[in-house]
Order: sequence, then C-alpha cells, then structure tokens
Amino acid sequence: MERLLVFVAIIVLGGFGTGWSQTKVSEKDWAAAVEGAKKEGKVVVFGSPDPVMRNDVIPKFTARYGIAIEFIAGRASQFVSRVETERASGIYTVDVYLAGPDTSANELYKDKFIDPLKPHLAMPEVVDGSKWKTGKVWFADPQDQFIVRAFNSVASWLFINTEHVKPDEVRHIKDLLNPKWRGKISAEDPTTTGAGANMAARIHSQLGEEFVKNLYVDQKTVRTRERRQMTDWLARGTQPICLNCREDDVRPLVKEGFKILEIFEIGGMPSTVNGSPWMLSLANKAPHPKAAQVFANWILSKEGLESYAKGYGSASLRTDIDESYLNPGNIPKKGVKYFDDTDWKWIVGGRHESREKMWKVLKTG
Amino acid sequence: MKSPTATLSLPLTRFRLRPIRIAEFSFLVFLIAAMGLPLLFLLTGSFNLAAPGKPAVYGFDNWLRAFTDPGTLNALWMSFLLSVVRLIPAMILSVLFAWLIARTDMPGGKWIESICWIAYFVPDFPLVLAWILLLDPNFGFLNTLVKSLPFVDGALFNPYSFWGIVWVHTSTGGIWFKVMLLVPVFRRLGATLEEAARVAGANTTTMLWRITLPVLAPMILAVSVLSFIRGLQSFNTELLLGTPSGIYVYSTKIYDFLHREPRAYGEATALGSVFLVVLAILLYFYWRYLSGDKKFTVVTGQGYSTMRVKLGNWRYAALAGCLFYVAVMMFLPLTFLIIGSFMRRYGFFNITSPFTLNHWYNMLADPIFLVALKNSLIIATVTAIGGILLYSAIAYLLVSRRTITAPLLESLCWIPHVLPGILLSLSVLWLFLATPLRYFVYGTVWGIAFALILADSPVTTQAFKAGLLQLGADLEESARVSGASWTYTYRRILLPLLAPIAAAVGLMNFGSALTSISTPVLLYSHQSRPLAILLLEYSFTGELERAAALGLLVTLIIGAMMLIGRKLGLQFIRE
Repeated sequence: MERLLVFVAIIVLGGFGTGWSQTKVSEKDWAAAVEGAKKEGKVVVFGSPDPVMRNDVIPKFTARYGIAIEFIAGRASQFVSRVETERASGIYTVDVYLAGPDTSANELYKDKFIDPLKPHLAMPEVVDGSKWKTGKVWFADPQDQFIVRAFNSVASWLFINTEHVKPDEVRHIKDLLNPKWRGKISAEDPTTTGAGANMAARIHSQLGEEFVKNLYVDQKTVRTRERRQMTDWLARGTQPICLNCREDDVRPLVKEGFKILEIFEIGGMPSTVNGSPWMLSLANKAPHPKAAQVFANWILSKEGLESYAKGYGSASLRTDIDESYLNPGNIPKKGVKYFDDTDWKWIVGGRHESREKMWKVLKTG
Repeated sequence: MKSPTATLSLPLTRFRLRPIRIAEFSFLVFLIAAMGLPLLFLLTGSFNLAAPGKPAVYGFDNWLRAFTDPGTLNALWMSFLLSVVRLIPAMILSVLFAWLIARTDMPGGKWIESICWIAYFVPDFPLVLAWILLLDPNFGFLNTLVKSLPFVDGALFNPYSFWGIVWVHTSTGGIWFKVMLLVPVFRRLGATLEEAARVAGANTTTMLWRITLPVLAPMILAVSVLSFIRGLQSFNTELLLGTPSGIYVYSTKIYDFLHREPRAYGEATALGSVFLVVLAILLYFYWRYLSGDKKFTVVTGQGYSTMRVKLGNWRYAALAGCLFYVAVMMFLPLTFLIIGSFMRRYGFFNITSPFTLNHWYNMLADPIFLVALKNSLIIATVTAIGGILLYSAIAYLLVSRRTITAPLLESLCWIPHVLPGILLSLSVLWLFLATPLRYFVYGTVWGIAFALILADSPVTTQAFKAGLLQLGADLEESARVSGASWTYTYRRILLPLLAPIAAAVGLMNFGSALTSISTPVLLYSHQSRPLAILLLEYSFTGELERAAALGLLVTLIIGAMMLIGRKLGLQFIRE
C-alpha cells in the first residue's frame, strides 16, 4: 500500500512538475527550439497528397521561419511500408506525420514509430489552454502524449441534390430504403478500406447486418472509388443522394449555383464528429528534431490551423479561429451527444470488427 | 532470290568462351540480385503471418485468405474474359496497322504511326472520363445525339458494362502500344521474301498470311504475351467503369489488399502469383514455338530491299480506315480531354463562364512544377538510354545458343511484368536499403531511373530479342572475315540495324518514365519528386482539370521528343 502511495505521489508530482515547467519555461524553450530548427534548415513531413500543404502551409511556414518543408505525399499504406522498410535498415528520414486516425493509431502508434509530442509543445499560443475549446491540446492516444487531434467537425451524413430530392424526403435513415431511391444513391465503395467502408461499418454497428444489405445491395446503391465521380453524379442528378461526398469537393459546386444540400443530422442515427483532415505526431529518431518541434507547434498555432480549417472546411479545436466561413452544421453543438468516429477504441477495435462483418455481408450478398 | 537463311544460332557462334561467360554471369548475377531476390523476398514474405516488425511466423493463412476472399475467383474469371476479348481484335488490328504503315505504300503511314505514339502516352484516367462524357446513358454526348433520332428510344451506349470497358480499353490502351512495337520489326522485314512470294503467284493476303506473319512471329507472340498479362493487370478503366456496375477484376482485389489498413502485402503477393503461373505457361509455349527448325532471319548480308507492297487504289481505302479508327478511338475523346483542361469543371458546360486558363496557369506556377519537370526529364533520359544499353546486351546473349542460362536470364527479365507496380517499387526499396546503394541512389533521380529501367526489362528485352532474331549470322561473319573486331562489328553493323527498335523502345521507355507512378512512389524524395507524383497528387485530391493539363503536357513533351528525334537524324531508322 505504501509503495502504491509513493507511486501515486510520484505520478502526481511528476505531472504537476511537467505542467509547471511547460508553462513557466515555454517561451524560452520555444526561442531555443526555433534557433535550433533554423540551424537544421528543413523539416520532412509525411502525409496524404494535400493541396493546402502545397499551396498554403509550405509558403507560410517557410516565410515565417526560413525553414524549408519537404513534403512527401502518398497513400497511407504506401508511406507506412516505406517508413517501415527504411527503419528496418536503420534509416530515419521523417520528422512529422500528418496522418489519418487509422494510420496514426493502428500503424504509427502501434509500431512505435512516434515519440511523445506533449513534452515538445512549447509555443506560447499552443500551450495556452485558453486557446483550446477543450481547455488544452487534445491527445487522442490513451497515454495522452503522442497523437494530437486538432479538429473536431460534425461530419455530414449525406448530400442531396434538392432539384431531385426534397430535404423532407430523407429525414430518417430508413427513408433511404424507399424504393423511389433505388439506384439513385451513390457511395464510396464500402468493400475496400476508406470513407465508404467506415460509414458502412458504423451503420452495421448501429443498425445491423440487414440494414447494410438493404441499403447497399437491395437499393442498388451505385459504388465508386473515385470521389470526383460521386460529386459529378450528385451535381448532375444522376445519383442525387451521395453518402460519401466530401465537403471540400462539393463546396465549389454550391458556389456555382448547384442546388446541393449537406445533411448533418438524420433520424435513427446519432450525428458524427471526426478529427479530419489529419492527426499530428512526431517521428522518433527524427533527423531534424528541432525543426519537427517548431513545425508541430506552428501547425497547431492559429496561423497553421487556420490554413487547414479554411482549406478543408473543418472545425478546428482552437478558440481563436474565425469560423464564420464554415457551414454552421460542421460546428458541434453544445449538449448534443455525437458519435465520435475518431474515438481511439472505435479506431483500434470496434470499427475493424464491424468492417469485417460488413464486408462479409456485402461481398457475399 | 535471297533465301531466309539463318536461324536462332546468331552472331556469337565464334565468340570466345571466356568473354561471353563473363558477360552472361555478370548479367545473371545482376538480374538475380535486382529481380530474382526481391521476388523471393516477396514470396517468402507472403507466408509470414506475423505483424510487421515482429518475429516471423510462417503459414498458409495469407494465401488462404487471399483465395477464399469472396469474389476473388469471379474477379479472376472476369479479368481473363476481358483480357481475351480485348486481345484478339486488338492484335488483329495492330498487325494490320503495322503492316499497312511499314510494308505497304499506304500514304500518311508515318503520321498514323506518330499518332499511335502520342495516343499511347495520353493519360488514361482523364481519357476514361472523356468516354464517360461521351457515352454515359444519362448525359453522354453520343447518347444524347442518338436519342434525338426518331427511331431510337433510350440510350444506345453504356460505358458501365463489360462491352463498355472493352470499348474504352481499345481506345486507351488498345492497339497503340502494339503498333509501336510491331512497326520497327515489320520495317526490318525487307521485301525479298514478299517479292519471292509474288513471283510464285501469291496474292497480298496469302503473302501476309504465309510469309510476313510467320517470319515476324517472335515479336507478334511476345507482344501478345505482354498484352495478355498487361490486360490481366489492367486496373484504372475497370475501377471507373466497372465498380458502378459491380464488375470487379482481379487487379482490383490485389489493389484492395495493397491498400488495406493494416497492409496485407502477403495476400496481395499470393494473388499476384497467379500472374507468375500465367506467365510461366505462356513462356513455355512461346519458347516451344521459337525453338526447333524455325527461320526468322530477314536481314542478311546478301542484299536487302525495302520495296513496299503496292495496294493500288486500296491504299486510299486503307488510309481512310486507319483515319476513321484513329478519329473515333483517339481524337474524339482527346478533344474532350483538351477541352476539359480548359474548363472550370471538367464536363460541365452549363455553368457560368465554363472555360478558364487557370488550371494551366496554376500548374505552371506551382513552385514544385519546374523542379519536377527537370527531375522527370533526367529520369526519363537515363531510363531510355540505360534500358537500351542494358537490354540490347542481354537480348544479344539470349539469342545466342552459346549461353547456358538463357531460359533463366529471360525468365528474370519477365519478372517486372508480373509484379504489381507497388510491389516492384517495394522490392527495389529493399534492394537499395540492403546494399550500399542506399548511400548513393536512394531518394535520388538515379535511384528512380534504376527502378524504372528494371520495370522496362520485359518489353525492352523482347523487342531487342525479336530484332536480333531477324539478323543473319553472315553479317557478323563478313565483318570478322574483313578483320573487324567484335566491338567494331557491334557498333557499325548490329547497332545501326537495331536502331529502329532501339529508338522505338527508347522513346517508349522515355514516355513510360514520365508517366509511371507506382514505381517511383516509394523511392522519391522531395528533391527527386517527378511529374508523375505531382500527377498522383492532383488526381488524389480531386484536381482533375489540373491533372488533365499535366497529362497533356507530358504528352506534348513526348511528341516533341519524337520530332527532335527525327530532326536529329533518326529518320534513317524509318526506311
């Protein structure tokens, strides 16, 4: 018992100590980190192909710190293979990962490719809890150390072309099973990993196997793996209901005057929040640790997150970012209980199980 | 009349044992290291059931999972059907085109050939979308047109179907690649045999059927094997047109395993092994056909004529047929693609001010663009030249009966054709990281060029092999009798005769290097990022119009290279 008390005391004191040192010395640490980063000269960031990074983030960060960003873009499965092979040979080329929740939790974290990020947060406006809706930087991993979640947006359930579908006609999830919509719904192919499979897994976990079969098979939901194809079908009205269209793809069409409506709430299913477009982590044995630290802090700053929040239309967790440009539906409402699609337990367990079951239904159905 | 004397026993009959053995074993070691070992690693890895980074545990689970995955066998059957249905008409048309271009007096043959070259390198993804704009049952331009006819009720065309996929494939991959490879060997044929046949009373059809095709069988067979396996691996068109109608092909299954999270490379390799089996079967028949008492030599030291078959008035009909095919299968969708690159949204003509120069402007103003362009040009040039040097030498060894490891050498050269691109890239990554190459080439343009040279081995080796089989032994013998060294003979006699094939595969590899995505994807760094990776980024993020502009730019570069080649004197290879 005594040992336990001592252990708890150490943990508590250690925790206080860490918190104290972070807030007390952060400005000094930050200045030192920036100096060190400038000497390193560059930071290597791995992520999905990303126009915001290419067109906005790289110029801004380089202009501010004089540090170059080398952005290596690729599909998650590919770049994890590459990193794994490099590491097996003792080569460490990556400093920072901007990856999706699956890759962050099930690959980078699980394979121990990343270092705790929490001790490296030093930029004053990042460590200042008042700048965050959650009162502090939100770490998604169970140790509250490794993977930062910087966004929390309400995800749309579906998009409709109102010239063909009235909003009243799809108020409840079961409305999608109306024979009127047979062949009129499109979805990202749920039989392979991706947004389509994630949504189908959720539906499977909450409404069961029969509903999945009814929706994807009996309703002759038109599947594709090309997101542009879905958005075009939605705009033309060929398939006026789209389950997995992306907000950033649809926004230009709305500006063009297409009558497209994004639906965030639907009866029979809880609304969903997620951490899209990325989660942030620091590579261990990074070749440019100081530059990595500066980039990780900066991307969590107002300037950094604002680029992504605007570029992708995602609601960030910072309090000082203007959200007037967002679709109000994207911003989580107080008091509403959402299903968290980026929840750790769901990502590492529940989704995978539901996905396997759902695949069995769809591939044999 | 000059008889088609020689046989497979080609120039090296008097070559001293030592140099040929040294060359043979050097190439063998290189190919085993570069292609054999990675394949072995992949196959071994496919039996490893442990999670990445954990101690290996071996078993058959990955293979079982791969082949019992619902739909796998159906997908394999669908791929087989599509591949066969596409191959037969495409081969007939390709041989006909190549013959008309190279062996007859059809006017405009050079232009038709150039169009085939350009058509091959037009990016297929936006081209498929162009076909959708033309054929979609709801909004397709051609369907709208035919629906206006009084006797047509409903849509006539549907790209989201088996025949829709076949049709679009004929446009995107169809005959262009085959014509590119066949024309040089048709040119090499010479008129001697055909003249002899004509004197003996054969008409044009008999001549083509009984003389031309059998003599050119090595290349026709090689192109057929290449095309059949390529057909089995075909993916992009099926993804866009097949998924909406529930048509899944075998490559889609492999793709799914490759991109699954967590990764399932073991299952993907297990499925990929089917290509190895298919290749082994096809190669068996290919070798069996080439062995024995076959004569393929058409260029000897006893005189050589390039006189063409005269078609009379039919030559204009032939030209009209070729032009019609090219107009429908290439110019029609290409027009939509070009227009698409200038549209604010590809295919949407009804929005306000639908046209813009922004995509071209943004692409050219992208700071990464110029660096990527420079990288791509270096990579493509090195790939083209490196491939010619390496595989002409290997092909030279293959056609010599003095090499004792020819079947093994040739099998190794085929390996990249049966590996999905991403697995080839992964295996090259292993090769780099496991050897001192990591210090010199990993992450550089040279490393990417090296990987692309490996990827080009099947087509390049087979093209050179077919070309060498056409050359008579007396050419080299005459040179040696006159006192020429082997190097001199190779440089002054063999290489010029092989120049048409070298130019063809060089340009083809140059173009492939500019457009290949899966090979460099694991090997590039920020400094060595090629244009193709930029294209991937544009496509991945839905910037389709910019991708179309970039794809067209790459096609323009290849077109320019062809023109430069001609200006620099490569026209000597044409006649």
